Amino acid sequence: MRTLLLLLVLLCLPCTALAEGFSGYAEVKGFAYGERFAGEPYGAGWGTLYNKWEQRLAESQFTASLRAEWLTAPQTSPLVFDPADRKLRRPPLSVPELWLRVPLAPSHDLELGRFQLGWGKTDGYSPADAFLPRDVTDPFADEKLPLWAVRLSGQEENLRYQAVLVPVTTPWRLPPLGSRNAPIASGALPEGTRFQEQDDAPPLAGFAALRLLATHGDWDLGVWARSGVRPAPILEFSLDPALQTGPVPVISVGRRYPREHGVGVEVSRVAGPYVVRGEAAALFSADPELGDALIGTLSVERGFGDGTLLITLAGNAIDPPVDPTLLFDRGLLPALIVAWNQTEEWGAWKLVWDCGLKRGDGLIKGEVGYNITDTWKVTVGGDLPYGAERGPLGALHGARRLVAALRRSW
Amino acid sequence: MMRTILKPLLLLVAVAICTPLGSAPAQAAPDARALLKESESRHRTKTQQYSGDLTVVNKEGKVRKKGWNSYRQGYAGDSKNLIRFTDPPEVKGVGFLSLPRPGSDNPDQWLYLPSMKRERRIAPQDRDASFVGTDFNYEDMEEFDHEKYKVALQGEETLDGQPCWVISAIPLEKGSKSIYQKLILYLRKDILYLVREDLIRKGDKEPAKRLVLSDIKNVEGHYVAARMEMTDLKKGSHTTVTLKQISFNRPQPASRFTLQNLTREGGD
Repeated sequence: MRTLLLLLVLLCLPCTALAEGFSGYAEVKGFAYGERFAGEPYGAGWGTLYNKWEQRLAESQFTASLRAEWLTAPQTSPLVFDPADRKLRRPPLSVPELWLRVPLAPSHDLELGRFQLGWGKTDGYSPADAFLPRDVTDPFADEKLPLWAVRLSGQEENLRYQAVLVPVTTPWRLPPLGSRNAPIASGALPEGTRFQEQDDAPPLAGFAALRLLATHGDWDLGVWARSGVRPAPILEFSLDPALQTGPVPVISVGRRYPREHGVGVEVSRVAGPYVVRGEAAALFSADPELGDALIGTLSVERGFGDGTLLITLAGNAIDPPVDPTLLFDRGLLPALIVAWNQTEEWGAWKLVWDCGLKRGDGLIKGEVGYNITDTWKVTVGGDLPYGAERGPLGALHGARRLVAALRRSW
Repeated sequence: MMRTILKPLLLLVAVAICTPLGSAPAQAAPDARALLKESESRHRTKTQQYSGDLTVVNKEGKVRKKGWNSYRQGYAGDSKNLIRFTDPPEVKGVGFLSLPRPGSDNPDQWLYLPSMKRERRIAPQDRDASFVGTDFNYEDMEEFDHEKYKVALQGEETLDGQPCWVISAIPLEKGSKSIYQKLILYLRKDILYLVREDLIRKGDKEPAKRLVLSDIKNVEGHYVAARMEMTDLKKGSHTTVTLKQISFNRPQPASRFTLQNLTREGGD
């Protein structure tokens, strides 16, 4: 309790930019859905308060941030201390960043603490990056979770390296199963089936990874390898007779986290006004439900005035042993992702089309951000999943929505 | 994308050249090329760093602001540049690194976006595209190299009480990549510093935009305009850039202009 009080005090103190080094935002967001789903209301609201503190300590850098949230739906966890995001549900208070970077030499750094990783070259989908844990409580937000990690990185001439050790597994966070954000395909189970999700502790150990990068002329090249626990769970459904006390079946859902090893290459090249990026990754697991994968991506980016067009193709050459939807990060493959981002005098807008090439489902996403001032911003948009309900995006038809958000930054 | 902000400074320093040439008794009109060349050679600096504030006012009077820190090592086509945005909060931490590539007009450029936690190689930008919603476009941000223009002395004019040389500059190449047909440069006679530039687009007769440089200071022996205002004469909007904490020839750490440094969050 004392820890929570301390966190609350830290959160509320720098509500405005009291000193250089504090930044953050307060945001209210509203969702209007096209239909009721399993008793869920037509609307939902999220409120977020986020504060970040950055401090130089001689040549070192310290950064800490704290996020407080209030969600009307889906459910969050009670006010518990969950510093590694290992609980089933999104906590009202979290620590997205808490890290210290110490220079070991002019171009070599050691970073310790909780921070986000961003790997890979291709946008929209990157096999180097896709396995990293996401919080898909909001399935359309692509929110990456930070990790507790130690990172050693550096550069000599045109060569760079990153070695990362993640001692604690931060797992993917899923929406409540059976809700509009994680529906079960209609007809698969009797209507009204309830899920009892077990808050199993994920394995303690995480993974280790090494990434080497080089730049030569128009080319940026990279190779990587990683080994350890995969943050995305394998769901295990079971029917416990002891739980079948009512008129509808109750299915117990457990989670396990297989080990996986992977190697990959990444390439980026400037070709006139285009930037072409590509990645390939070979992933190996002895787990019979996960299996191996051979994932490739290719993307092209081109600027047109104040707009940018991005096209990405991604696919897996090996059919997974289970429905790919149950593997989360590989669920949509093969896929085509097309995005247009446009900067305007008054703000920005974007259109994104995610298209599953196997099942024909997809998502059309539009967003317009209007800058009222430099610190106040209104965003409106919509998410329109469509297509076959057996696809990971088509299944989300009940989550079709309009979104409006108001943000004040400092 | 940040290449943009470089231009004002580079223009200032490159063209802005200050030489007592203008104050010498001039019986015959000096040669425009000689003026530009002389001032450039005298005002090269090995390094430069500053903090900048940028204000965009559209025709309705709506104001937008941005802030950044800029570091440069080298000069003109050989320069390394690092820019880090500091304001507004939405772009804080965004970094831009530009490194020269021998034998190429296009430098290697990367952008670091804190939201993605990784750097991205970027392609040379559309020269006519607006720089982050300002009245500068990407061509305006490029370094002015008088050798790529046919220059001629047009006459003399007094601006804000300061006698100036008026020089026209027309892109040399036929079918040039430039979006401009002609530039009119106003150089202060006493210090040979650029104080105004009228930019005439291809197919136009009148200037589409006007850059005015003011608040000229002598910093560590180098003249620099601490205020630049670009006005879009057609749209009625204007963008003002003010420079603070300017310093020249300060040694820059070798690691500053590296991808490792670009991806350091909270770093320079």
